[in-house]
Amino acid sequence: MRVVNRVKVAFAAAGFCLLPGALPVRAHHSFAAEYDSKKPVTVTGIVRKVEWTNPHSRMYLDVKDAKGVVTVWNFEFGSPNHLFRAGWTRNTVKEGDQITVEGWAAKDGSHLAQTRQVILADGRKVPGFASGTDSGGAPAQ
Amino acid sequence: MRTRFVCSLAVGLALAVAAAPQEPAASGGRAARAAVPAGPVPRMSDGKPDLNGLLNGGLSSQDIGVNLAPGEQILLTPAAQKLMQSRRPKDDPEANCLPAGVPRMAPYPWRIVQQATHVFILFEANIHSYRQILMDRSHIPEANRWPSWYGDSVGSWDGDTLVVDTVGFNDRFWFDAKGHPHTDQLHTIERYTRKDSAALVVETTVIDPGSYAKPFKVVYTARYAPKDELMEYICAENNQDVTHITTPTR
Repeated sequence: MRVVNRVKVAFAAAGFCLLPGALPVRAHHSFAAEYDSKKPVTVTGIVRKVEWTNPHSRMYLDVKDAKGVVTVWNFEFGSPNHLFRAGWTRNTVKEGDQITVEGWAAKDGSHLAQTRQVILADGRKVPGFASGTDSGGAPAQ
Repeated sequence: MRTRFVCSLAVGLALAVAAAPQEPAASGGRAARAAVPAGPVPRMSDGKPDLNGLLNGGLSSQDIGVNLAPGEQILLTPAAQKLMQSRRPKDDPEANCLPAGVPRMAPYPWRIVQQATHVFILFEANIHSYRQILMDRSHIPEANRWPSWYGDSVGSWDGDTLVVDTVGFNDRFWFDAKGHPHTDQLHTIERYTRKDSAALVVETTVIDPGSYAKPFKVVYTARYAPKDELMEYICAENNQDVTHITTPTR
């Protein structure tokens, strides 16, 4: 299997956990305390800045409305540790790329959202939150 | 709970697929969590089980209750119940990049470094820190230590099980995001048993008469991931979350 296909398979399988209604496993803070699962957002824009930082990666998008007014959206992603282990690289999304991001808006009304998935310019969909190490209480065998 | 477990399996499978040792790392990210076939328990030169290695898995950081051992109960004292109900997510020390304490675990890899005299537990997150376990020693006298996040840990072997006894905690960390509390009377007894080359079972007895009417045991199984390595995780470098947490909803 070529590398790109292998990564696609990995993303596709992990994406199972990121279907609508399936909120990401939270590690660092409560999802429900910050974001609203009833406020899904989908925006398309140009990546202004990528932050490979903890506790979360962030991507800032310039999003232009019908009147040409640009709003900067702040999308929270999984930690770079989780994303890179899930197959992301620094080239998956770069500054200047046009991407579409789907996620859930913050409760405080700011242009902040948690990412569910990214649709890249070539149409590939990649999960924005990959967290697979919490046993979630899986009992000892 | 079931969804999270299934998701863990799905993501684990995805990562196993992504982890291809023959592929150049630059093309496939750093996925390295391939499943490890179980073999016999490796041993140190002194015959003790070799616990060294990178591990994935821990107690649920969200709710310690889901890890209760069979027949165990969490019985909060009235004061502890009141304290727990008053806690808000924005105040969770873990969300504020402070140490998780014991027995809380963040869902990130961790590594055991085992020596005859010391055992270290290195945490990737949260925070990027470590625990130090002194083997075959007594606890530091109470007058010579102060309440701390990881306490004073001493280790010993009970057959093939590493037993870690810890006292001297502060009361600041939470056991989970739900806010299960404790006092500085907390005493934990952890039992680390390598089941085979692939799995480590960790059972922790939580004793805190200040918060719980009786001790309780929590348990989890961690998996060895010999192809993975710890990564840097500096929690405080870009922690924007707490300023946006606006509701008491957990």
